Amino acid sequence: MLRFRTRKKTEILSLEEAVKKYMHDGACIAHGGFTSFARKPAAFVWETIRQGFKDFHVVEKGGGYTTFMLRATKRIKIEESCWFGWGEMVGKLDVNFEKQFKSKEITTAEYSHGGMSMRLLAGAMGIPFIPYYGVMGSDIYNPECDQFEKEELRDGKNPRIARKKFLQMEDPFYGEGTLYLLPALRPEIAIIHVPKAGDKGTARWEGVSSTDKELIFACDKLILTCEEIVSEEKMRENPTQNQIPSFAVDAIVECRWGAHPTGVPFYYDYDAKFMQDINKASMTEEGMKAWLDEWVFGPKNWGEYLKKLGVERLEGLRVSSTTGYSNKLMRGRVAPPNITEPLSVIKSGF
Amino acid sequence: MKKSGEELIKLIDIIPDESAKEGEYGLIELASIADSREVRNDDIVFAGTGLPMLGMMTANMLHAPNATLIFEAGIVDGKSMHIPMSVSDQRACYMASSLGGLVDIFGTYLQSGFVTLGFLGGAAIDKYGGTNATCIGDYHNPQHRFPGSGGAGDIGSLSARIVYFIIQEKRRFVEKNEFTTTVGWWCNDWKTGKWRPKKEIYRDTIFADTGPSAVITNMAVFRFDDSGIMYLDTVHPGVTVEQVKENCGFELNVSMVSGETTSPTYKELFILREVVDPEGIFLPIAPEYPSDIKEIIEKA
Repeated sequence: MLRFRTRKKTEILSLEEAVKKYMHDGACIAHGGFTSFARKPAAFVWETIRQGFKDFHVVEKGGGYTTFMLRATKRIKIEESCWFGWGEMVGKLDVNFEKQFKSKEITTAEYSHGGMSMRLLAGAMGIPFIPYYGVMGSDIYNPECDQFEKEELRDGKNPRIARKKFLQMEDPFYGEGTLYLLPALRPEIAIIHVPKAGDKGTARWEGVSSTDKELIFACDKLILTCEEIVSEEKMRENPTQNQIPSFAVDAIVECRWGAHPTGVPFYYDYDAKFMQDINKASMTEEGMKAWLDEWVFGPKNWGEYLKKLGVERLEGLRVSSTTGYSNKLMRGRVAPPNITEPLSVIKSGF
Repeated sequence: MKKSGEELIKLIDIIPDESAKEGEYGLIELASIADSREVRNDDIVFAGTGLPMLGMMTANMLHAPNATLIFEAGIVDGKSMHIPMSVSDQRACYMASSLGGLVDIFGTYLQSGFVTLGFLGGAAIDKYGGTNATCIGDYHNPQHRFPGSGGAGDIGSLSARIVYFIIQEKRRFVEKNEFTTTVGWWCNDWKTGKWRPKKEIYRDTIFADTGPSAVITNMAVFRFDDSGIMYLDTVHPGVTVEQVKENCGFELNVSMVSGETTSPTYKELFILREVVDPEGIFLPIAPEYPSDIKEIIEKA
């Protein structure tokens, strides 16, 4: 889609206001973070579901907690992704995805992680396509398996859907074989959860960046939810730590624990138990409905949701300032060992 | 076991490097150790979530201390103190050499030819070493639908060697995948619709001669012949060739069996259980150590 970009005027909104102002039925959306572990914009999606928006076109590298929630409430119509599971702690399968794929409630275009990342990179760079070597020969590129083509979504009418899934091309420059040209991804709205944002929009995360760096520039509208808004001056003290320039940000929402039950490195850990409980509930329609009524539609606002989680639960997710995760979180059969230095390093250095 | 880091390190040195006997280890343990032996000291390893991590982290404590682990979410050479549950777990980031994102990992590290070993799991594999993580049945009307490729398709097509960790079952070892998510030594040519050797599809690229090098299961280790077809290499102790054949859905080449898989040693088992996954996140409850090993551990 052709457009010259202008700087954005970052505004600070409440969670309710941001969802109301930016979301709409049928929007093409993308979420930051990674699967069900790191920085998923959980609170934003929670509020989106509560306000009733639907028929989304989701474009995302991987899925995770947020797409799980959107599927559980049947809000996704079309999805371009490379992984349709959710939490690795629950065995990766999303029963609702399986159901809605089979019943054709969701139409998909399927790529690989590398492919989706390249597509986002092309989107970020403002170029319409990008070459990539990965997964050639896989059924991912089987023309018969392109559901968008089958459903006639590639007719050029939707500016966010490419007219082809891919194109093969011989390298014309160095003669290095065949590559696949992949179309850029250009989501309308991206939502990224970060620990810290300045009041003018400069923002940062810690830990893995996933595809957030690309998402910032690939999308038309960028909403940041964050653990805390600090002064812009504070963010400028250490610019090497910032990844998001203020001119790219449309709105900032301060939302504590806004990624729960996923984690924010150096802020809180992922809540594996909480996600295991949802997964159990999702096995039946009644179970899922009861869970949603209790946890999504029940609380009056995000604050009430946190109150319902309770101090003890949240305290249990508190992280060590040295490692950025909880050294005490019970994840398996046995409590974590009390190790303060990596044994591989003690044994043989780096 | 409540031991400090230093006590554990000391124990690694004194626990004997002798083969454990049948019944003294679980099948997941045996397969994880077989996995770890595929790692070379100079490897750059790209591992998926779960069991592939176990083998790599064990190798790091033993014969391959310099092997470098990368994870798709952007983590390079982390030195975990606690096993990550996912490839984006903050536990994998501790003391990493650098953190980036998927574009760095897939676009740069992998696509430019740095990854010498891909470590993957899979739901089903065919005799060409291709794996299916997408669906059972017709793509549009499947009986079962799984999450799909994730990073597996990329890792499996662009790493120099790929080692798979798969549960040995007839329905998981198939003649040809209904859906090839990750290519093996043979794959589809979408220009002609023909089934062709990978080296033809990837001709003139650095990936032309790369592909699966081993498949490790709870029963055996498989490798690939010159035409890219899987054959049985070793059977795990206590498992017969016949049993492997019964749990394989295609006509398995057993003419090149080289013998029995070397049993894990007590040292390897100790590292796997007490250093790599002491929380029991991926490993099921292990059989007890024999009394002489137990004594060494208790005395320390």
